[in-house]
This record gives sequence, structure tokens and C-alpha cells, in this order.
Amino acid sequence: MTATAPTYPSVVPTEAPALLLDGITKTYRSKAGAVDALRGVTYHFARGSFTAVMGPSGSGKSTLLQCAAGLDQPTSGTVVLGGTKLNGLNEVTLTKLRREEMGFVFQAYNLLPSLTVHDNVALPLRLTGRRPRRADVHRVLEQVGLEGKAKRRPAELSGGQQQRVAIARALITRPSVFFADEPTGALDSGTSRQILGLLREATDRAGQTVVIVTHDPVAAAYAERVLFLSDGLLAGHLDRGTPSQIAAAMSDLER
Amino acid sequence: MFYLSRQTVSRHRSLYAGSFVALAVGVFLLGLAATATAATIAYRGPLADSITVTTLGGNDTAPTQVRVPTSAADTSGLQVVLSMVGTISGFITIFVIASTFAFAVASRRREIGLLRLVGATPRQVRRMILGEAFVVALVAALTGAVLAELATPLLLRKASYTELAPVKLEPASPWVPLAIAVGIGLLVAMLGARSAARRAGRVGPIDALREAALEPPRIGPVRIVFGLLFMAGSITLLTLIRPSTGEGVMPLAMFTPMLLVIALTLLAPLVVPWISRLWALPLTAWTRVSGSLARSNVVAAPRRSASLAAPILAISAVAGSMVLSLSFAADSAEATIRDSLRAPIVVTGDAKLDASLGTVDAGVPLQFVRIDQDSAELEDAEGIDPAIAARTRNLTPLSGDLDKLTGNTVAISKEMSSLEHYKIGDEVPVTFLDKTAAKLRIVAIVPDAFGVTPSFLIPLELAHKYAPTAEPERRFILPAPGVDVLGTVDSAVPAADWEAAQAEGVRKGNQFGLIMLLGPAAFYSAIAIANTLLMGSLQRRHEFITSRLLGATPAQIRRMVLWESSLVGAVALSLGTAITVTVGILIRHAMTSGMADVAVTVPWGVLLGIAGLCLTLAVGSALAPTTYILRRSQPSAAVE
Ligand SMILES: Nc1ncnc2c1ncn2[C@@H]1O[C@H](COP(=O)(O)OP(=O)(O)OP(=O)(O)O)[C@@H](O)[C@H]1O
Ligand SMILES: [Mg+2]
Repeated sequence: MTATAPTYPSVVPTEAPALLLDGITKTYRSKAGAVDALRGVTYHFARGSFTAVMGPSGSGKSTLLQCAAGLDQPTSGTVVLGGTKLNGLNEVTLTKLRREEMGFVFQAYNLLPSLTVHDNVALPLRLTGRRPRRADVHRVLEQVGLEGKAKRRPAELSGGQQQRVAIARALITRPSVFFADEPTGALDSGTSRQILGLLREATDRAGQTVVIVTHDPVAAAYAERVLFLSDGLLAGHLDRGTPSQIAAAMSDLER
Repeated sequence: MFYLSRQTVSRHRSLYAGSFVALAVGVFLLGLAATATAATIAYRGPLADSITVTTLGGNDTAPTQVRVPTSAADTSGLQVVLSMVGTISGFITIFVIASTFAFAVASRRREIGLLRLVGATPRQVRRMILGEAFVVALVAALTGAVLAELATPLLLRKASYTELAPVKLEPASPWVPLAIAVGIGLLVAMLGARSAARRAGRVGPIDALREAALEPPRIGPVRIVFGLLFMAGSITLLTLIRPSTGEGVMPLAMFTPMLLVIALTLLAPLVVPWISRLWALPLTAWTRVSGSLARSNVVAAPRRSASLAAPILAISAVAGSMVLSLSFAADSAEATIRDSLRAPIVVTGDAKLDASLGTVDAGVPLQFVRIDQDSAELEDAEGIDPAIAARTRNLTPLSGDLDKLTGNTVAISKEMSSLEHYKIGDEVPVTFLDKTAAKLRIVAIVPDAFGVTPSFLIPLELAHKYAPTAEPERRFILPAPGVDVLGTVDSAVPAADWEAAQAEGVRKGNQFGLIMLLGPAAFYSAIAIANTLLMGSLQRRHEFITSRLLGATPAQIRRMVLWESSLVGAVALSLGTAITVTVGILIRHAMTSGMADVAVTVPWGVLLGIAGLCLTLAVGSALAPTTYILRRSQPSAAVE
């Protein structure tokens, strides 16, 4: 582990951050009582960075991702995405921001079962009212290696192929930030590598920002920086770690 | 969003099958009612059999000419029934569509969340659901219309030469009526889908990430407020079912249960769990695990259970109270007939009666057109000799004096006087069937005697003058001392027999109306019940398979579903029974106050039949898909 300092400067401090979290807290209230899932997280994600978030189960990783993407409102603190403050935006503005600036890939249930692969990929464009060009859809499908499967439905694809469709769908709008929550959680290592390679390419080639949550040190090693989350607080980070270094840091954290 | 709607509908065909069937049947009934109405409008009776009169006007209405048909060849009875059938079909369609669409939305929460995640605005989601409703509704409405067109000749053949339309009806041009039916069907479907669409719009993108969210535990304050409002309204109407309301009690008895059903349906998520707990007591005591599992499932998902219970509650309450009310009405009519007739013997034929037999009350039936400010109606009347009729029947005037019934005068029943606000001394303009107009002065108001005496009594001379060919249909006899009328006159019967026959006629008439009105509603409700329970079970595929994985045997799961659907059915039926009993008690009190010895006829067979049918349908349509799912899938499918 290289650093455990309480402040986390962005990797490329010269540019305005793509995503800025400032003092995020999140408390879930339910009949069973209140849970502090996040207890004050401040971090700047630099433009074009690939960041992995790791931590024990229940440490607040998914909550962090959801608050950062404006899917959930933090209890306090501000989120700024590409210069737009997300707090207090209305649902429609937030939706438009989401479909233009963000891409999502999750562990499962990423696709609409009733639509073909082509239609799933074209959906975000259709929702903005644009008529998707066949060539554009074809291009992104080619990028993820699924050019022959445009007419299939999700049920006719393997898990890894479905994840690649989800990535193609996220790519087509050229979002500035990708959010992925355990995108390889249910895949074998070969397929995982393919998915992570695609995300890596997005940052390297197009300068897009990627934030992924993962349990897998091999997956985390694709990122230039790994953030460790513990009990709703950032507990440290590791830059350009190898899988074994990351695994060691994780087991330190879980002790 | 329309293209998306089309795709999702074809994908979720089974999810929308229910809505499709419900709406197709609704439009079928609407379409039939419309084409048949068109046929009755197209029917032109012989012009000679009508009288044209001019209404009085006044109170902002100008006098107008109206043609009153006087022959029996009149189709207005059928028109009334058809319009009621149409209204009921439209009304139930809204409910069924609303509930099936709510189901469809609830079971696709995750998918809708995903749509929101990739950038659909709440408005787009709403439009998508409405678009789906439109696709389903359009196909269903067209199907229903085609079916209606095919069935119209059959219906018209059945309806021709009946009490309601004693003429031959021919199909008229179907385009306009069917277009109306399709239009109403679409409108009603969109209205029904609106709340589902609004709920879908509230699904957030985060719902795509959560496990199939359990339904929100609380019901909205708006729903509670509306439920309580409907409840208060129904209770107010219930208090109106009392003797002083007079003739209004019967419509009240039919209308109030519908309001109560709406109130209870709105409040059901609060009410259903409590009643389920009660009913579950014996269940959990008798069964080992399936009973208590069933109980938790019903109690823990109050909204789902409530929507499963709603159609059963609706039909059992509405049909139950209608059947019971009409039966009690017939009881009271029977008692009225008995109390209205004093003569011990009735002669029904046209036998010649010797004056030595005793006092013969030979009233002459006739009809005239009564003219109002804004309408004119054909009325039944009887020409009587007031001195004799006052002895053979109960005609003691409530006000006025029957002795004054001479010349251009009339005595009217209490019902007619309160309905039309007539007072002693008022003059009623009438036109007799020979087209002479006259003004009849009201001299007395007599008790209602439905089945014995019509609403208008005029002097016998007047009847002979304006209806010279009219003959008595039945004569009431007070035998002279020592004369055996029954033995000497063939067509003479004891009054009790005649009364029984009259009452039987009333019951038969009621039955006919009941079948015409409730038939389509019951048919439709049956579909709705089967629909909701079928969809309810189909939705639980994953749950059933997971239970199998955990070691439950197919038989255990089937038993659980059996108990669950029985529990829901029992809860709905107990609420329906509560409504039926309340309405029954109130209407009985209202109709029989001031009468002695009124028979109590409870049509147990019909009532139990309704309950049994509801329960069988509910259990059957919950079990069938369960069995199907269990047979089709292995436990390993849960992992997929
Ligand atoms: N909707 C919710 N309501 C109440 N508590 C919640 C909710 N979602 C998450 N939590 C709680 O918040 C905490 C953080 O949850 P979160 O899902 O962010 O964890 P995580 O780090 O993603 O865990 P995992 O690695 O298991 O996915 C946990 O204690 C969890 O129980
Ligand atoms: Mg998580």
C-alpha cells in the first residue's frame, strides 16, 4: 500500500474533475433502524481516469456509486458531474443528464428482454428523440465484438455477451462517465478480461471516465487507482497496483 | 415510445392476455348492446298504432309533439335493458383494465427501472404504458367488435317476440354502433390504464438495481381519503333505505352496494389482512405448514390480496343484494296483493255471472295517454263502480272521497300521487285511445295495490264510453249468503289461489330482469376473477421454483395456493355477505313496515350458487397455472 493519507488528490490535477464528491453521507432509515451507509466521502475523479472501488461487503460501495450517478440522493454533501451540481435537480433534468453524460453496466439485468440486441443498444438514442443510425449501432457492436448478433434477444445470449451489449449501449451515447457495479461479478475470468479491456479502452482511446465497483483484485488491477472503502469511509488508495498487491491491501482492510 | 410499446406487448403476451380478454369481452357486450339498440331504433312500428299528443310545457319547457305508441309492438323495454347492459359493461371494463394493468406494471418494476436508468423520463415511461394499453385495447376492441357483429343476428333472433320487444327485429347497419363501441372501449381502456401509467412513472432508476421490490407497505393517503368518502356516502344512502323513502328504496338497494364495493376495494389493503387473520385461525389449526404459509402470503401482501379479492367482492355483493332485494320485494308484493283483495273468490274467465251469485266487481281495464309538462305516457287504468269495488278491495281513500268518482274524475294510487306530485282537485289531461281528449279531476288517493288495482281508477261509465269494447279480465266476487260460487262457475278460484298466481308472476318478471341485467355482469366478473387469479399465480413462477429448490413438494405448493386462494375468496365473500345482509335487512324493513305476516323468501340456492361459483373460479384459476408451472419446470430453473 503506497499511501493512507486522509486527502486524495486527483491523478491529473491540472484539469477540472469529471466527477466531484464533497462530503457525501447517506443514511438509510427503515423500521429496523437507521444505517449509515456513507459517512462523509470526499473525492475527485479526474477526467479520463479509471478508478476501482473496493471494500468489504456492506461497506457502502454500491451506495457510493448510486449517489455519484444521481440514482439516489445523498443525505448530505454535494455531487458535481461535469460541472453540473446534481443535488436538487428535478427528475427530468437528471434523466437527461444521465442519458447524455453517463453510461451504466451492472452485474445483471442490464437489458430489456423484449428488445433485440440492436434495439437495446439504440434505446438511449431513441429516448433522446434521435433516430439511431444503423451504422452507429453496428460500429459499437463491432467494438464489443458482437457484430453478428444484432437480431438476437438477450435471452439468446450468454452472460458475457449480455454484458458486452450493455457496454455497447453505454458507448453509443459517448458518455463522459461510465459507472459499473460488479460488471464481471458473474463471469469467468476470460470473459471478465474482455469486458474490462473494453472499459480500459474507453478511457485510453476516448478519454472517458470509468468508475467500477468490484470484489475482484484482477479486475481492480485494470484501474490506475483503487479506492478502498470501509464502513462508509474512504480507508485508503493504491495506484497501479498488481492483483496480488490489491489482494493484500484488501485483506489488511478486512482484518 | 410507441415502437417500444409494441415490442413489449408482443413480448409480454401472457401478461396482457388478461387485459385483452377482458376488453374484448367488454367491447363485445358493448357492441352487441349498440347493434341491438340500432336495430330497435331502425324498427318502425305501424304508424296507426300510436297517438300524437302535445305536451303541456311550462317551467322553461316548450310544448312539443310526442308520438306515444299504443300497441304492444314497442321496443323501448329492450332499449332500456340494452343501455343498462352497455353501462354496466363499460363500468366493469374500467375496473378490470385498471387492475390488469396495475399487475402488468408491478411485475415489470425492474424493467421500467432499467428504462429510467438508460434515460427514459417519467413522462416517456407513462407514455409507454399508455401506448401498451392502446396497442392491447385496439386489437381487443376490434376483436370484440367483429365478434359482436357475428353474434348480433343471433341476439336479435332471441330477442324478437319477447316481453321486451314483441316484434321482429332485423340487424341495422353495424358501422356506427360498432364504431361507438370500439371508441368507448378504447376510452375506457385508456382511463383504466392511467393510474397504472402514473404508478409506472414513479418507478425510479434505482429500482432497476434492487431485488424485485416488495410492494410499498402503506397505501396512499389519497386512497384512504377516497375510500372513507365513498364509505360515508354509502352509509348515508343506506340510512335512506327506510319506509318513508317509498318507491326509491329499490334503486337505492341496487346502487348502494356498488358504492360500498368501491369503498371497500379502496380500503381493502387495510381491511383484508384483518379478516384474513380471522379466517386463517381454523386453517392454521387444521393444516400443518401450507395453511400458515398461505396466511403469511395473504397478510404480507395486502395490496395483491386486495386486488385478487376485488372482483369476487364486486360480483358477490352486487348480485347478492340484487337477488335478495328482489326476493323481498316479491314477498312484499305478495302481501300487498293479499291485503288489497277482500273478496274471497275471483273469476278469471268470461263466464256469464248471474246476479243472484252475489256482489260482482267487474272492473273494465283500459289505457289512456297521460300528458305531462314535458312528456306523455301510456297508463293502465280501470273503470270501476266505486260502491262495489270499495267492498271487494281495499280502496279506503288515504285522502279525498271515492263516492265522488262520477263524471270526468279519477282516483289515483299513492305512488302515482307522490311520483307526479298530484293533489286532490288537480286536473289530469288525458287522451283516450279513441283520440278524445279529456281532463280528469282527482277526487281520491287510494293505497297502492300493485297487481290488484292499477294506478288510475275512473268511473265505469267513463270507461264504457271511451273504451266500448273493453271487457273485464277478472271479476272479484262477494258471494250472496249460501251460494257456492266455486261449485257453479268453472273459472272461479279461491282468492288465495289467484293471489299466489299473481305473486308468482311478479317473481317470474323479476327473474327475467335479473338475468338480463346480471347475466352479462356475472359473465364478465367471472372472467375478471379468473383473470386476476391466473395472472397472480403466473407471476409467482420464480417463487414456486425457489420453494421447490428449498425442498417443498409440488403437492405442498399446490396446497398452499389452494389455501391462499380459498382464503382470499372467503375474505371477499364475507365482505360481500356483509353488504348483502345489510342491504337485505334494511330493504326488508323498508318494504314491509305496516304490513303483517309477510313471508320471508331467501333464495338460498341462488345465493349459495353465487358464492360457490366465485370460490370455485378463484381456486381453480389460481391452481391451474400453478400446476402448469410446477409440471413445466425443474427446481434447477431457480438458479437461472
Ligand atoms: N435500500 C436500503 N435500505 C436500507 N439499508 C440499505 C439499503 N441499501 C443498502 N443498505 C445498507 O447500507 C449499507 C451499505 O450497502 P451497500 O449496498 O452500499 O454495500 P456494498 O458495499 O455494495 O456491499 P456488497 O459488496 O455486498 O454489494 C449496508 O449495511 C446495507 O445493509
Ligand atoms: Mg454492492
